[in-house]
Amino acid sequence: MSRKQTPLRPYFEKMPEIGKELRAGEVRRSQANVELVLEQEAIIAKEVVRVKNAGIPAEKIHQRGGMTIYDRLEYLVDEGSWNPLHTLYNPTENVEGCTGVVDGLGKIEGKWAVIIGFDNKVMAGAWIASQSENILMVTDLAKRLNIPLVWLTNCSGVKLTEQETVYAGRRSSGAPFYRHADLNHLGIPILNGIYGTNPAGGGYQGISPTILLAHDDANIAVGGAGIVGGMNPKGYIDEEAAQALIEGTKNFKGKAPGRVETHFDQTAYFREAHDTEEGVLDGIKDYMRMMPAYDPTMFRVAEPAEPKLAVEDLNMLLPANQKRPYDAVQILARLTDNSEFMEYRPDYGREVFTGIAKIDGFPVAFVGNQQGVFPGYPDYANGEYPGVGGKHYREGLIKQGEFVTLCGRDNLPIIWLQDTTGIDVGDLAEEAELLALGQSLVYSIEQTELSMMCVVLRKGTAAAHYIMCGPQANNNNAFTLGTPLTEIYVMHGETAAAASYARRLVKEDAAGNDLTPTLDKMNQMIQDYQDKSTPAYSAKKGFVDEIVSLTELRNYIKAFTCANYQNPKSITPVHQMLLPRIIKG
Amino acid sequence: MPELIAPLAGNVWKVLVAVGDKVELDDEVIILEALKMETPIYCDDAGTITELKVTEGDAVEEGAVLAVIG
Repeated sequence: MSRKQTPLRPYFEKMPEIGKELRAGEVRRSQANVELVLEQEAIIAKEVVRVKNAGIPAEKIHQRGGMTIYDRLEYLVDEGSWNPLHTLYNPTENVEGCTGVVDGLGKIEGKWAVIIGFDNKVMAGAWIASQSENILMVTDLAKRLNIPLVWLTNCSGVKLTEQETVYAGRRSSGAPFYRHADLNHLGIPILNGIYGTNPAGGGYQGISPTILLAHDDANIAVGGAGIVGGMNPKGYIDEEAAQALIEGTKNFKGKAPGRVETHFDQTAYFREAHDTEEGVLDGIKDYMRMMPAYDPTMFRVAEPAEPKLAVEDLNMLLPANQKRPYDAVQILARLTDNSEFMEYRPDYGREVFTGIAKIDGFPVAFVGNQQGVFPGYPDYANGEYPGVGGKHYREGLIKQGEFVTLCGRDNLPIIWLQDTTGIDVGDLAEEAELLALGQSLVYSIEQTELSMMCVVLRKGTAAAHYIMCGPQANNNNAFTLGTPLTEIYVMHGETAAAASYARRLVKEDAAGNDLTPTLDKMNQMIQDYQDKSTPAYSAKKGFVDEIVSLTELRNYIKAFTCANYQNPKSITPVHQMLLPRIIKG
Repeated sequence: MPELIAPLAGNVWKVLVAVGDKVELDDEVIILEALKMETPIYCDDAGTITELKVTEGDAVEEGAVLAVIG
């Protein structure tokens, strides 16, 4: 008789259950909170619709017999697996209302890929400001997760009226070609479905991936056919030059270079050419079936399971009022398989929780801020003040550094649940070495080869936003999510106003002057902080990679986890893991 | 009679009930303000508020009785 089982079954099959059902009274009094969460979701949803409608109407593309980027993604990506990223990203506030590319994590033929395409409604996929930053975040993600990058290229080249915003510079629109080379070098394949006219920058966008699949009407070339005049020796355009240009344009009969008859029939750069747009996408699906991916059984430690406690409760549990504490374990219990969690050192560093959970049957690590008040803690305060949730103290920082280091050794991807107001300050905190211990956590993260994802549940503030694997952890942070309740700023607006104007208030008061002008400035500053830390603003400026409703968080956590285990670069045999043994003692 | 106790020292920011009000389990009765946080005090039992020991603005110590439910 053959027998089979998951590894370290006594540790992973059944872990301690966490969280509890909400009581009727809790549900009743939380309805106002749900309304506030949904209000913020509606703001985000409206913004998403605005971005999806950027450029010419989809109907125009359809009338031409074409597909929009959204049609292509819908056809390509496995149903229910799409996790969009950077939807509202537009830090330079382009008039187009977006960066002209659409991207996210999704499954194609059952395998995870990072997928990005040009929005062909927006200037036929032109290079516009901040687009290269968007693309670099996406190529970084494929590198971090070690999964294929799939491109849907449809790129008309530089928006010529704004070339200075895209063409030159270290992280300009040429940088993705080097990133493609880097991914190829690392053994991460890039599949490229090519549509439309792709001259110059679009040509390199076309040629730089690993496998090229073209639509019959597509072309890729060093330069386009539209450039009918060269340099004008006069250095300006007069009537005579304009007439020459008019004649030249009228008489221009050439076709765009680099068509399928060249790059399929002659050079054979294109592996496939298809007479339908869907055919190209079918070709990508065929190649995705060839991509390296372990069967999940290889790394699962238990059968996948949904949380026992309802995900919908999250809208009741996370207070929209940023001054309200909550039970962070109740949040965690709505995210993990079976609502289970194996906590590491629960009695040490009480302001943070660290431990192992399962997501879709895979082992992962979670780190997050506890909320509330901790009387008698931290020790070094000698009772002068109590510990407050969301802040970091000596023990919590040591615990996180230790835990991250052990996760690195055990190859456990880490999910950070941030809701932090900062690291403790003052002479006692300095004597307790918090400055160095904060940076030690940064060092611990950087020393691992782990992928991490960060969720800013509510507040991302001060250096604590950095040290808890915020997006600044360029080498480890795969992506950062915000929620409808996220606020990100260096400090609260009221604190900033007090820091900036307290001395002036003292002076004005001493001089017997009216305080109103100063108070107006302080209140304006507070308002400004509020306006520039909202979820939508955070997404637009790239403080986070996407704003996700609380009920959708688990989908992203699953995508992150499963993508990590698709083709890992490093493996710790589960039976050789240390953390579960350390937790058991 | 059940008493509502301050879990930490702070100021009474809001009193959301009056003597004679009927309350249910988990109703929010009083909000304390301390350490830049609002700490809501919830009913542990259903009943009627028979006594309010604090008013808005009062400073309370940890363990102080805030209200009595009959």
